[in-house]
Amino acid sequence: MNEAVVATGVGKTYGDTVALDGVDLTVAEGEVFGLIGPNGAGKTTLIRALTGTTPVTGNIEVFGAEPTAVDSERVGLLPQSFSPPARLTAREMIDYYAGLYDNARDTDAVLADVGLTETADSWYETLSGGQQRRVCVGTALVNDPDLLFLDEPTTGIDPAGRRALWELLESLAAGGTTVVLTSHSMAEVQRLSDRVGLLQDGQLVAVGTPEDLIADHGGRSRLVIGTDASSAAASALAAADFTATASPSEVVVDGVSPVDIGDAVEVLSEAGISYDTLTWTEPSLEDVYLQLTGESFEGAMTPGASAMAEESSEEPTEPAAAGGDR
Amino acid sequence: MSRSRRIRSEAVAAWHSFLRRRTAVFFTFFFPVILVVIFGALVRTQPTDGGLFAEPAAYYIPGYLATVVLFTPLSRVGSEIARHRDDNRFEKLATTPLSRTEWLVAHTAVNTVIIGLASLLILGLVVLLTDASIPITASLALLVPFIVLAVILFCGFGAVLGRLADSQDGVIAASNTIALPLLFLSDTFISLDQLPGWFGPLVELSPLTYFARGVRTLTYGPAAGEPFLGNLLILAALAVVLFVAGAYAIPRTD
Repeated sequence: MNEAVVATGVGKTYGDTVALDGVDLTVAEGEVFGLIGPNGAGKTTLIRALTGTTPVTGNIEVFGAEPTAVDSERVGLLPQSFSPPARLTAREMIDYYAGLYDNARDTDAVLADVGLTETADSWYETLSGGQQRRVCVGTALVNDPDLLFLDEPTTGIDPAGRRALWELLESLAAGGTTVVLTSHSMAEVQRLSDRVGLLQDGQLVAVGTPEDLIADHGGRSRLVIGTDASSAAASALAAADFTATASPSEVVVDGVSPVDIGDAVEVLSEAGISYDTLTWTEPSLEDVYLQLTGESFEGAMTPGASAMAEESSEEPTEPAAAGGDR
Repeated sequence: MSRSRRIRSEAVAAWHSFLRRRTAVFFTFFFPVILVVIFGALVRTQPTDGGLFAEPAAYYIPGYLATVVLFTPLSRVGSEIARHRDDNRFEKLATTPLSRTEWLVAHTAVNTVIIGLASLLILGLVVLLTDASIPITASLALLVPFIVLAVILFCGFGAVLGRLADSQDGVIAASNTIALPLLFLSDTFISLDQLPGWFGPLVELSPLTYFARGVRTLTYGPAAGEPFLGNLLILAALAVVLFVAGAYAIPRTD
């Protein structure tokens, strides 16, 4: 497969601040590459470097050319914090950006893609934040780009709009469009990306498929049992070869697959221990993120994880129907 | 064809954006109106009494026109660049086929239309509200190239200013600071013989001087027949230089 983007030793400093520090990256044609990382990690700077809108050290090739020399008809960009002219309608906005290209798509088709057909004649400034962001996404699609850079494309978009946009990006990817996107939504990146790169302090500290990253860095699935008898519960579970850790109001059982949940509940039942809640989580990209960035995370639900909670019962609960084992 | 399509698209967007900012439209045209009303109709010129407005009313037509030719492009283009930069629009445009020169051509075209309309308004008001008489000759049509060249020149200047200033507020402050002395010290409202002798060479450094002198030969009877071609050529040369500098100054990267 040909490479759409090849970056080698990319560096960038702002005064004493190192924004990018020797980043090596390749993105294959047709691939969806997700960039994640904390605020200030260098994601936006890397997007700017790849689009030739900021000078950097190192070497970058986009479709075999320098970023500033690449055929702009082939590239689409949605910058972060992009704010187009506020008093154009959504239709005029798409028309405006389409007018900058020789082979632009039909405006109505772009508006339909981003779900703005009904509000096409409203001024940008009167649209909701999510609708505004969808207009901005539309401006990146007007030239039917082969390579699409999206810097936090779904910021401010409501869940329904976000899912619609995900489906749009999935259809673009299915059609062969190469996509490089950044996001703070791990669910979004995990769902959309073929490969993910994690930037931290300007360095690409991990690259791989979401599945590989989760397997390598996500830890194991776990069962969190809310109970007042946490010590007794932990002891009973440990006796049954579970890895259980007690805290005052809950027990965390590490490495529990969906099929193990019934066994754990059976242990509690046999020991006469009641519980208030059962929550099972599988590792996700968010766990990878937290693990690799060193940020704290305890007991929170993760996107993509299945969970269940029910009142205390002597009967074992059914495991949640979730994808993936530990 | 592609280039004209891109320029047209940028210009149409800029034109709509301008027209829909009502306060911007109002004050763009109100500013020259109030200037003519205050100085032309209220203060009035006093040809025999000396003082600041000692010349006949038509003498000051270049000054009135200079207000819109100078202030409007400086503040509009400068502010637009600051706004584009703050909103990451240049980052977006840098990945499109639109070049910096095309962007400036589009915005210069919009400013030319706006300033052309404002100039017509000024000429009409001067005739209506003062006793100025403008000689109607074929050469009056040369007002058009003088105004267009001056707009090009100051759009380029505005682009440089927009690049150098770090905010819209900064652009407005800088353009006012630069434009005010230029307006009064460019042989517009104050004639050279009212200034100290040592100041004369400085007046020659102002691009607006050549606009004012050229326009005066076309609109002020006593100056009619004086050569204007030199002023037009100097203005054209300066317009080219400032436009190129402005196009180069437009940010493409951070």
